[in-house]
Amino acid sequence: MRIPRSRSSLRATGLAAAAALVVGGTLSGCGSSGPGGSGKGDISVWVYQDPSTKVQRQVVERFNKTSKVKVKLTQVPGDGYSDKLRTSMGTPNAPDVFFNWGGGSISEFVEKDMLLDLGPAMKKDPSLRKGFIPSILDAGGINGKRYGIPMRGMQPVILFYNKDVFKKAGAQPPKSWNDIIKLIGTFKGKGITPFVVAGTDPWTELMWVEYLVDRYGGAGVFKKIQSEGKDAWDDPAVLKTARTIKDLVDRRAFGKNYKSVNYTADGASTYFAKGKAAMHLMGSWEYANQKANQPAFAKSGLGWTTFPAVPGGTGDPKNVVGNPTNYWSISGKLKGEKQRAAIDFVKFAAKQDYAKALIANGDVPTTSDASALLNGHENPAYAKFQYDMVRDAPDFTLSWDQALPAKYTPPLHTNVQKLFNGQLSPTAFVDALKGM
Amino acid sequence: MTDTLHRHPTDGVHTPKRTPAAAHPRPRRRGLPRANYPAGLGSLLWLGIVGLPLYVLVAATFQTRNGYIDDGPLALPDHPTFANYRRVLNSGFLHYLLNTALVTAVCAALVIVLSVTVGYSVVRTRSRGSRRVFQIFLLGLAIPSQAVIIPIYLVITKLHLYDTLLAVILPTAAFSLPVSVLILVGTMRDIDEELYESMALDGASPTRVLLQLVVPLSRSGISTVGVMSALHAWNGFLFPLILTQSKSNRLLTLGLYDYVGEFRVDTPALLTAVVLSIVPIFLVYLFARRQLINGLMGMGGK
Amino acid sequence: MADAATRHTRHKRVGRPSAVWALPGALFFVFFAVAPMILVGALAFTDWDGIGTPRWTGLSNWTRLWDDPDTHQAIRLSLVLTALTWLVQTPLALLLGVWAAGRQRNRAVLSAIFFLPLLGSSVALALVWKSLLDPNFGLIADIGPTLGFADGDLLGSSTGAFGAVLFVTAWQFIPLHTLLYQGGARAVPRSLYDAAAIDGAGTVRQFFAITLPQLRNTIVTSSVLMVVGALTFFDTVLILTKGGPGTDTTIMPYLMYKNGFQAFDLGYAAAVATILVVVATTVSLLLVRLTGFTAMRSTREGM
Repeated sequence: MRIPRSRSSLRATGLAAAAALVVGGTLSGCGSSGPGGSGKGDISVWVYQDPSTKVQRQVVERFNKTSKVKVKLTQVPGDGYSDKLRTSMGTPNAPDVFFNWGGGSISEFVEKDMLLDLGPAMKKDPSLRKGFIPSILDAGGINGKRYGIPMRGMQPVILFYNKDVFKKAGAQPPKSWNDIIKLIGTFKGKGITPFVVAGTDPWTELMWVEYLVDRYGGAGVFKKIQSEGKDAWDDPAVLKTARTIKDLVDRRAFGKNYKSVNYTADGASTYFAKGKAAMHLMGSWEYANQKANQPAFAKSGLGWTTFPAVPGGTGDPKNVVGNPTNYWSISGKLKGEKQRAAIDFVKFAAKQDYAKALIANGDVPTTSDASALLNGHENPAYAKFQYDMVRDAPDFTLSWDQALPAKYTPPLHTNVQKLFNGQLSPTAFVDALKGM
Repeated sequence: MTDTLHRHPTDGVHTPKRTPAAAHPRPRRRGLPRANYPAGLGSLLWLGIVGLPLYVLVAATFQTRNGYIDDGPLALPDHPTFANYRRVLNSGFLHYLLNTALVTAVCAALVIVLSVTVGYSVVRTRSRGSRRVFQIFLLGLAIPSQAVIIPIYLVITKLHLYDTLLAVILPTAAFSLPVSVLILVGTMRDIDEELYESMALDGASPTRVLLQLVVPLSRSGISTVGVMSALHAWNGFLFPLILTQSKSNRLLTLGLYDYVGEFRVDTPALLTAVVLSIVPIFLVYLFARRQLINGLMGMGGK
Repeated sequence: MADAATRHTRHKRVGRPSAVWALPGALFFVFFAVAPMILVGALAFTDWDGIGTPRWTGLSNWTRLWDDPDTHQAIRLSLVLTALTWLVQTPLALLLGVWAAGRQRNRAVLSAIFFLPLLGSSVALALVWKSLLDPNFGLIADIGPTLGFADGDLLGSSTGAFGAVLFVTAWQFIPLHTLLYQGGARAVPRSLYDAAAIDGAGTVRQFFAITLPQLRNTIVTSSVLMVVGALTFFDTVLILTKGGPGTDTTIMPYLMYKNGFQAFDLGYAAAVATILVVVATTVSLLLVRLTGFTAMRSTREGM
């Protein structure tokens, strides 16, 4: 039996092994390089990716032109932003500056002393403090200390409606809950889904729960839940909300296939813009979304109004839920020149040009001088509506999945989704929330 | 398996006992006997199930975003366009492709080298140690990689390897080892004892025996292992999802997943990214089909 | 001239590798696979949020797991999905594999097409099906009502979503198992079929009497791969259903991900992961033991 000669395979194996080692060595270097996460001397900035991030991209470009320390912007796809952020905060690759919603989205980092207290920086530079609407600035703080600088427009949740669909049906936007019930019947009769809601992204369904609880029992209900948890969910407003939602679902207010409609791939917004649904309860960024994807609709077909009061509710109908704004927070690990650069960056991004850029994108900034700039908005009526709504709101409740710590987000989302799906009865829903 | 290594003394040599007075010739059957019509129908049905999504996938890549929304996925594009391809290629796709190719190559190399050495020892070393090692690998067959992602996250961050390509390579290679060792042990066991003995007569060292005898005769097993670990690394998702983050270290699967949030309603662009991610493997399939298929078939073992 | 006996003992040692050869691979595997597995068991007794250090909490995760209906559901779903996966994929792959083993030309062409789904990653294929199953803009919007899903809401119904996961994974992996069976079927010696033909056995009889028994080792290999694979479907679930609607497709790997990397309750997630390992190992061992695989008896005995 001939034994094959294989000197070439010896060489090949040796080469392969050596190559693997060399490549492996370079690969480990080609990653993290210290707390910066990007090249030496750069600061890494994370932002939630959606059509509005171009404003942040522009400000980063402008900042890098004049700053010695460069900013490296990372856009993280929205669906997993909170998870990705949280996962990397526990590693040396944590971002230096990052987008967040205040409240529970940063409370755990604050507990572990991972964020820079921005109080001193604000004292040194009053423009940082005075430049923003006070309540919004406060919402970015924890326990009285400041950890966030506003960096996006205000984002109240607004009831949007399709003007063309309403005109064709001869209907008026709802002013009371009775109107809502009537409209449901009207649109169903025409084969149009009254309200589109994205069942696969339960945070959109959560908006309904937030508004209804607020309308039924006032902002104090959630404030109590935030501080006491567990049995605070037993408040009658929560049960009434769950029953109302069940009623809406049974009336087919959300149509038949809402359970598999998505928001993050613009499924719901497109369905709405195409006239297949009449109304869409969504954050104010929906305007910028529509502007990017369906510009004609955003220009002339998009209408807006407030969420009405509910019969028997004690909450102030002028209350608003949503996100006061988004904030930049700075990592506590930065020192010296990098820390100064990071603070410079957030200050730079708070200047008036930035506010103008936000307006150009369709957002409404949270700066105290914003009302003067609103006429520069391409849709001044929408901008004014939003600004007045927020300014006049006695209470602006932060979205629950951002106000509560991260470990409550998945069960909260799952329970809300199950309520909308009919998988949990109203009483079971309340019990599930209590058990979180 | 058409591997020459598994040659059996009676393959291909067949002398049936014939009755001396065969009155008429036996009917010849070609190939394996199969009923034709049910099989034909079944295969056509399966063709539809496989073909329809593939058609939608390819057609959508030339469709415009609004065309897809308004006309639906089955419609042929009214105005075919390459804009989707341009968009995907401008969104970092090539970078992800290179990262993935690098990770795949290193993984496959690592797995081959390690499993060959382990297999060699398991088959040839007469010691309890090597038997123990084999048992460890056999048990490792059943460990799902998801189950250990949490401690691996801990280990990788402590080693300061978070968000590097190495963070993906090391665990991925480790989890390809049990199957690879199993396959190679099976392949190496088939090498006749006489061959070893004649090399031993020559006074060959273990290294020489490995490189001049075992490796060449285990070529099919090694290519199976290489193919499997390469595919495993190319399509891996959980490890990149958790252990990497930045765009510069992103792999193709993670890139696809992130494209959902980036392209949003632009489904044609998303599907174009999917098609482009399959193209490299498709090219391998076209040019190295025999190796690829034999590699996968070889997983069946004896 | 050495004595024959000494030469014989020398042969036994010369040319044999020492156990050191297995060391690199074994160490690598232990460090990146075995040690983490043990660590997961240890982490299950701690509380860890990913930012600080794990904190020992004894049995609290386990008592919680014992009472948690979501975890019970996840275990149940995983087992049901695995069983159904086997029941759906094995017969189809078997039939297709044996069919493809035939040497007709058209079979080779069709086989080449059937192989294509295997070329895509789970992520890629799940994205394709997710688009197709979009209730308003996908294929299901048109054909949903005929299949019994009003308004294309397949992914929104519990059975629909579960079925979708089952179908998409089958669509992806049947080609792989078909290949395994094709290889196995091709290796069956023709002599057996010819002998059976002489005895007058028909096609079906030959299939059950010859093909199936000869494929025994292949069936076991394919089944072990299929079962461990089904217990660890993750990519598909994440993209297609996100564990929904509600928790009706939250199988164990997804539950672990949800608890670990969305709620950042990594200690509890480690407990779920430990259960997954135990289940996967038990099922694999059972499968292998029941079929006598370890004996690795040759299918050519008596030839």
